[in-house]
Parts: sequence; structure tokens; C-alpha cells
Amino acid sequence: MTTLLQQLVYGLILGGTVGLIALGYTMVYGIVQLINFAHGEIFMVGAFGALATFTWVIPEGVKGTWYITLPLMVIAGAVVSMVIALIIERLAYKPLRNAPRLAPLITALGVSVALKEAVRIWYPGATAPLPFPKEFLTGSIELGSILIPKTGLLIIVVAVVLTVLLQVYINTSRMGRAMRATAQDPDTARLMGINPDRTIVLTFAIGAVLAGVAGVLYGVHINNISIDIGFQNGIFAFTAAVLGGIGSIRGAVIGGFVIGLVKTIAGQYFPGGTQYDYVWIFVVLIAVLVFRPQGLFGETERVRA
Amino acid sequence: MSEKTFFTNPAVSRVLGVAGAVLAVIAAMLPWSTFLLNKGAYPDKATLQFFDAPFELTGFRWELLIIGVVALVCAVAKVPAQRRVLRGLGAGIFAIGLINFGFIASAGGGLGAVTALDGTFAFGSVAALVAGVLLVLATIGQPLEEIPRWSTKLPTPVAYLGLVVSFAALLYVVSLTLTAGGQGGAASPYSGPMFLSFLGFAGGMFAGAAGLGVLKWISRLSEQHRVFSIVVLLLCALSLPFTDAGSEYWMTVAANIGVYAATAIGLNIVVGLAGLLDLGYVAFLGIGAFVAANLSGAAASQLGIHLPFYLVVIISAAIAGIFGAIVGSPTLRVRGDYLAIVTLAFGEIFQIAARNNIGGLTGGSNAMPNIPALEWFDGTAFNESITLFGAKLPSGVLYYFLIVLLIAAVMTVFANLKNSRMGRAWIAIREDEDAARAMGIKTGQAKILAFLCGAVLAGIAGAVFAHKTSTVSYESFLFMESVTLLAAVILGGMGSIPGAVLGASLLFVLPEKLREFSDYRLLIFGLALILIMRFRPQGLIPDAHRRAELAGEDAEGHTLQDKPGGDEPEQPKPQEVPAR
Amino acid sequence: MSPLLEVRNLSVAYGAIEAVRDISFSVEEGQIVSLIGANGAGKTTTLRTISGLLRPTRGEVLFRGRPIHRQAAHEILASGIAHCPEGRRLFGRMTVEENLQLGAYVRNDTGIEADMQRVYELFPVLGERRQNKAGLFSGGEQQMLAIGRAMMSKPKLLMLDEPSMGLSPIMTQRIFDTIKELQADGTTILLVEQNALAALALSDRGYVIDLGSTTLEGPGLDLLADQRVRAAYLGEG
Repeated sequence: MTTLLQQLVYGLILGGTVGLIALGYTMVYGIVQLINFAHGEIFMVGAFGALATFTWVIPEGVKGTWYITLPLMVIAGAVVSMVIALIIERLAYKPLRNAPRLAPLITALGVSVALKEAVRIWYPGATAPLPFPKEFLTGSIELGSILIPKTGLLIIVVAVVLTVLLQVYINTSRMGRAMRATAQDPDTARLMGINPDRTIVLTFAIGAVLAGVAGVLYGVHINNISIDIGFQNGIFAFTAAVLGGIGSIRGAVIGGFVIGLVKTIAGQYFPGGTQYDYVWIFVVLIAVLVFRPQGLFGETERVRA
Repeated sequence: MSEKTFFTNPAVSRVLGVAGAVLAVIAAMLPWSTFLLNKGAYPDKATLQFFDAPFELTGFRWELLIIGVVALVCAVAKVPAQRRVLRGLGAGIFAIGLINFGFIASAGGGLGAVTALDGTFAFGSVAALVAGVLLVLATIGQPLEEIPRWSTKLPTPVAYLGLVVSFAALLYVVSLTLTAGGQGGAASPYSGPMFLSFLGFAGGMFAGAAGLGVLKWISRLSEQHRVFSIVVLLLCALSLPFTDAGSEYWMTVAANIGVYAATAIGLNIVVGLAGLLDLGYVAFLGIGAFVAANLSGAAASQLGIHLPFYLVVIISAAIAGIFGAIVGSPTLRVRGDYLAIVTLAFGEIFQIAARNNIGGLTGGSNAMPNIPALEWFDGTAFNESITLFGAKLPSGVLYYFLIVLLIAAVMTVFANLKNSRMGRAWIAIREDEDAARAMGIKTGQAKILAFLCGAVLAGIAGAVFAHKTSTVSYESFLFMESVTLLAAVILGGMGSIPGAVLGASLLFVLPEKLREFSDYRLLIFGLALILIMRFRPQGLIPDAHRRAELAGEDAEGHTLQDKPGGDEPEQPKPQEVPAR
Repeated sequence: MSPLLEVRNLSVAYGAIEAVRDISFSVEEGQIVSLIGANGAGKTTTLRTISGLLRPTRGEVLFRGRPIHRQAAHEILASGIAHCPEGRRLFGRMTVEENLQLGAYVRNDTGIEADMQRVYELFPVLGERRQNKAGLFSGGEQQMLAIGRAMMSKPKLLMLDEPSMGLSPIMTQRIFDTIKELQADGTTILLVEQNALAALALSDRGYVIDLGSTTLEGPGLDLLADQRVRAAYLGEG
């Protein structure tokens, strides 16, 4: 029983990370119908941006003070991710706005490869996994016989809080309405005076900020990062977004938690153990796509044409 | 606007064209580097201190001279589609200038190396750059001409002669390309720029020929004499080992390329014809390879059986085909981008299973080594060197021959499928699945069959691959390989057969030739994907059918006027998950 | 004085197919002007070009004397042209209120709430169900909402594309009455209709578009009396 509960905790921590990344996938797909393969790399870049800030910007004296260092790193990661995502959007995706569907998808693959390689080549030492600072926020909270790492708890709390904030923003703000309108019917949204380019840029920016935050928290929790974290977590996150229903904010995060739980439970109890835990995520993905393609919270209604 | 009228003036264009061409010729005879670079003298006596014979040209300077003279002739004489031709040639000259300029300047020379330093001058690359710009400027005043259409109504012997000459020239170019800048490996520190310069030269000349309508003429002519062309092309491919490129190294590389080209053609059925994006396709190549390894008596195999090659091929193809049908079955309910993710998931599942040595069949991280080489009927192993027609051919040549035949077979299958009832059904599904279903096409069956056909071809290629490399490891079948194959199909042009071969060749030759940039290989690959999608989404050799829809071009090839968010009829519909 | 909207020699093409060929017409301030013509005549394409969703291949569109045919759709709306598109195109997954708020997207004055109340007064059924999803309403109610939404940007010129499409005769009458009221309030209206009889009866001026070109023009009642129009569009003769 203790093992199960402990695994559930690990599952939720992984799920929080995945869910934060999944928000970017679901929002971008909702508005431009693009599987932004590069989004996982945006997460990775955020982690590296925070590491660079820690290594070269934050003065030695305060590195151990978590309540100064951690916010700075989170902000740095979010900003780096956002800037990179906006550059990509402007240079790679925007020119293809009216291109056939395959073109931006392949561009996204190219962006993903290029980003990962750029970090490998130009970030000092990134050819191997790099240690991520762990001077701060160590230890766990003991809850009976199970341990909840403080960093893990932070991930879960941040994921839930940011999701709620995002949901409120999308549902009630003027720009949130514009985003939903553009996602439902881009042409009519333009007739309302909504500038689709600005809306799309905002969507990319929000998704990238969330991914950047996730990247930093992931690094803090795992204590090391590598250029490969993007692809794998990106696939997890996409699966989560599909599972939750593309376009659905809460779906993405709940999907993330489900994915995290599936992976840890499968690694513990399913045949093949951790060697095959990754496979079960794909099995879930395929099953969802085949049997409930609109996902758990997806909208089934078609946009009126 | 005064600039515009300046360039529209025919006299100005003429002067610019002639000046550009002359400058290109002069550039060939100028020194290119003022001093000795750290990595050694720049090739072809282009360094000032070795610059003793301006007229004794070799290598890239010789190529520049040729392309310059051709440009001069075209600028002076009344050539049809003059602007098109000059623009192509000018771009080639510009590329040669830019590549060498960039390389000399960045490889330790700085700007001083390519201009003037300490009272010495080396303006070769700058002159070539300017020459290229002048030639292009000469063509911008007026719209490009129609590509001329040469008659293909020729007496058969003349047509045959034309085709033989064309294909022989193609063979020569391929051989030159492979050997440009040295025989692979790190022969010279400058083999990269030399090779790229050659590509610039060849590209410029091809663009010029395309502008003249020569390429279209050849393609129409070969269309008319299909069988003859295929035979000649096959013979040309088979005679590559007799050229300069017939070294053991290039035979090995060419055989590898061949395997990927055959696989890419298979993928082209799924992606190019049926329009189903497959991001896990390399798994089928892997399945074929592992099946072949286990059935051919590889030491690590626990099955311990050694079947004859033809049986191995059939079984590999069948098993890959079965998996193809399984992977294809979700297409009954899943569409578009979602399908791409399903295929990606299958590819990853295969890779994880292979990595973990599932059922003891894949060897896991130890791979499956020591797969016996194939043997000819007289017992000659395929990896030995042989003597044919008095020429001693390097080892690996038999695999090369086998793979050329494999590609020919796969191409035939593809062409037949494309023109069959099923092929038309696939194209209909690609264009509009709902309409296709309304027309009575059993779309589910057709889509699964597309996956099955693609997987069978990949399985066959995998069986050959296993024997050729003699070791099969899961590391050959990672996600990046699937992306590379997809990129080969797209780079070449979706749905186009020669495109897939050209795409695979480029994507696998370039890394071989550009080893000094090997650290940047994937970065360049990623950027190239982005740029291709931006500037030539229809690929290098677009399928005639597909050209219009992919580029958003109308029949004449003019792009539509810009419409920010405009709704041309072929604008993709908003994707929705089929809820039914 | 120059007309509020002037379309000069406008041509629009989809790829190689020219949907609108050399159309010219003008709309004076305060008028109701209708474009009538058969299916596929290019009426909708014309409106979509004026509102900036399409780019003309030739010709120009002047609004208050300024060329607007190079501007983006959202800029054109901000300059005072609202387009109520064919098929209504409501945001079906959003509430009535959200649809109206989107209509006022470009505004940041304080009058939005009052204008929303005015729409609810004009169409009480919308006011009663303002928190319901727009996709759940009937065709006529959706058309009301679409017009209300277009009004929310306080346009100088309102373009309505087939407002009577798919509606019952009673509902059609209500919509046309509303259009008349909007004119009385000072809004200029450009109306595209297949229901030529109702449209011309209402219009100060009409243009007949046939196969992408303007073939006839004149005051609405004159056109209504024209034998050729009666033959072609009203099923007489």
C-alpha cells in the first residue's frame, strides 16, 4: 500500500510537469491546428536558460537563498522560453499560415531538431547531462510512511495554480475571448476586429512561459538536465493534451496527471517494469485516439461553417 | 521606383549580363586568398603565393571559368528564355563566390584574406559574388520568360541517342559529385567547400539547363520512350562502379543510400500518394532487418536457423507487412495530425522493445552482430571484390548492384501502384477523404493497404540492409531516422519517384561529404527542413499532380497574390477530431 | 460630396478563377444599397473583399475617400465597416453576451454596456437568454444575434450578407424591419440578398450582379419595376 501511494505521489509530480507543457500544445493546436513539435524543446530551453542564469548571473552570495534564487531562475527560464518561441513563431511558422497542413508540421520537426542541436553545440558542456543546482529546497514532507519531496510538491501546486489562473484568464478577459474566437472561427474573428497575428503570438507566448516554468521546476526537482528532456517530455505532454481533449485547458493538466500516474504505476506493477513504462503511455494514447478521439474533455461540436 | 525603370531598360540588362559574365571569367583567374591559411594552401592554387598560372585552372576555378563562359555566351547570343538561363547561372556563380568567401574568411583568414592585406590583393571570391549579383540584376527588370518547349517528335534513333547522351551525362555528374573535393573521408581540409562549390556549379548549370527547357525536354522524351529510358537509366546506375566513384568507400555509401532510397520510396506510398503522415516508418525497416538477422543464422540469434535469402526476404516482407496493417488500422478512426502521433507512438514502441531485446530477438544494446554476408551462386561473398569485364571492382560492389536492382524493382512497384485503381483511390483520399468515401472508395481498406504496401517495401529493404551491414542494432531505427526518411520524401517532392531517390541521396551523401561540419550536421538538417518548407514546399522534383496543391500555385506555376489569411479554395479546413 | 463607400473596377480571383470581374458601385451615407444576383454571381466575394478577408487582383475600394483595399480586416473594422457574414458565423460555443462583447472588441469606451442593452431591447429573446450558448439558438434568433453583434462595433457602414437566408417569411420580415430601423438610426447599409423583391423594396439603390460584373443599377423601386430584373430574379415573364 505504501509503495502504491508513494508511486502515486511520483506520478502526480511527473504529471504536474507534463501538464504544464501540455497546456502549450493544447492552446497552440486549438488556435492554429499545429502540433508544435518544438514545444518540448521550448521546455528544455527554459531549463537551460535558468541554469545559465544561475551559473553566470546570480551572485555567489545569494545562490543558497532559495526565495531569491528560485524566483529569479523561474523568471529567467520563462523569459528565455518565451523569446525563443516568439522568434520561432515569427520566422518559421508565420510565413506558413496558409500553407498546406503538412508543411508547418514538418517545419516544427525541423525547429525541434535545430533547437536541440543549437543547445548541444553552443551551451558549454551540454553534450552530457548537466547538474542542476540543488542547494535550495531540499528535503521531503513525511506524510505517514510516504515521502513528498518539497520540489515535487512545488511542481504540483504550481501546475494547479497556473492552470486555474489560465482558465480564468481565457474565460473572462478580453484577450482570452479573442483567443477562443480565433480558435473557433479565424475569419469571423477577424471580422470582429481581432488581429489574428497578435492573438497567435500571445498564445505561443503563454504556452512558452508555462513550458519554461515547467523546465525550471523539473530541473530543480530532478537535479540534472540534458538536451534530451525536451523530446520525451514533449511526447508525454502531447499525449496528455490529446487525452484531455485538444483545446481544453483543464483537460491538458488532468491528462498530464493521468499520464504521470500511468507511467509510475506501469513501471511498478506492469510486466516489463520501468523498461516498458514508456510503452504504456503510448498504449493509452493510441487507445484514446481510437476510442475517444475528442479526448476526455474535448468539444465534439463542430464550428458552424 | 526609378530603380525599377533603370533595370527594365533592355540595354541596361544587356550590359549588366555581359559585365557579370565577364567578371565571372575574370574571377576564375584571380587569386582567392591573400595568404596561406592555417589548414594549408587553399586548393587549386588559389592562394596568392602559389598563384603563378592564372590560365592553368583546376577544381572550382575551372568550374567557375566554365560557368562564366557559358553565361557570357548566353548573355551575348540570342538564347531562348535568356533571363531564366542567366538567373540560374548567376545564382550558381554567386553560390561559388559565397561558399569560398565564407570559408576562407571564417577558416582563419578573416576579411583580409578575401580582399586585400599588406599590399596584396585576392579579390576572386568578391568578384564572383559581384558577378553573380550582376547576372541576377540583369534579369529582374522584366518578368521571366516561359520555359521554351522543344519538340519531342524525333525519329526514334535520334531520340534514343538523346536519351543515352543525357543519362550518360547524368552518370558523369553523379560520379563527379561523389568525388568532388576528394574521395570522401578527411582527404583535404578543404573538401567541404570544394564539394559545395561543385554543387553550386552543378546547380547553376542545371538551373540554366532547366531555364532553356532542356530538362523538361528530357523528361518528356523519357516519358515517351519509357521502357528504353528505364533500361538506360538502370545501365547507367549499374556502371557507376566503373567510374571514378567506384571506390570501396563510395560503394558502401551508395549501397547505404540505396537502402534508404528504397525505404523512402515505400514511405512515399504512404505519405506522397495516400497523404498519411507516418512518423514511425523506420520501424518497418527495423522489423525487416531483425527478422532477416534471426532467419539468416546470425550468431546472436536464438532461433539458429539459416534460410536461403529469397525466403528471408519474403518472410521479412510479410512480417513487416503484417505490422504495417496493424499500425494502419487506427486510420479507420484517426485522421490527420493525430494519425501522425499514432505512427510516432508505434515507432517508439518498436524502438523501446528492440532496445530491451524483446523475446531475445533484437540483441538489445548488444545488437545482432555477425549476420553472414550473402553469397553469389559460385560462392563469392557479396562483400568481396570482383573482376568484371576486365575491371577490378571494389568490395561491396555486389551489394551495390543488388540494391540498384532493388530500387529499380521498388520504383516499378511504385509506378504501377500509382497508376492503378488503388493508386487513384489513394490520391482521392489524399485530396479529400470524405469526397472519396462518397464516391464509393472503401477508404478504410485503401488506407490500411497503403500502410501495408509501404511496410512490405521497407521490410524488403530491411532484409537487404541486415546482410549488407552485417550488424543490426536498434540504434539504426530511432525517431531521427524516421524524420530523415520523411525529409527525403519531402525534399525530393511528395509522390514523385525520382524525387525520393534524389532526396535520400542528398540527405545521406551530404553528411558524408561534409564531415568537417559533422558537429553541425543535425543543426543544418533542421534548418534545411524549415527553409525547404518555407521556400520550396513542393520539393525539388515535384510530382506534376501535386505541384498545384502543395505550393498554392496555379497551373502555370505563378504563386497566388498574397492574401493574409485569404481563403483560396484549397485552404486547409480547420482540423477536427472525427467524433463519429 | 464623395460617397461613403466606393468600389471601383474591383476584380477578385481564387487562383486562376476570377469570381468578381470589374465591379463598380457606390454607397451614399445614410442609404440602404443592395446587391442582388444569382448564386455564384460574386456578391459574397465582393463583401469579403471590402471587409479585408480577400485581396483584390485589380481595382480599389474607397471608404470615406480613403483606399482601404490594402488594409487588414481588423483595421477595416476599426475604421467603421462591420460585416455580418453569410451563414451568420456566430461563435457557437460562446454565450450571447460573449458574442456581443466580441462585436465590441475594438472599442474601449464606456458605452459598450448601454449598446448591449440596446441590442437586448431590439431583440428581447437575446436578452432573456444572454448566458446561453449561441449555438443553441434557432436560425432567426442567430441572425438577430449576428446583426446585434455587428452593431456592437458602432459601424458607419453595416454590410449584411444574406440576412434572410433560411428564415421563415415572418422572421424575414422582422429582420428587414430591423434593417429599416438601423437605417433610421443613421447607419448606412450594404445588403446582399437573393431575396431580390424584399431587398429592392427596402433599398434606396440597387445593383444587379451577374457572373461577376455589375449589369444593371438604379434606385431600388426602379429596378423592381425593370422588366429584365423581374424576368431574371422574380420569376416573371
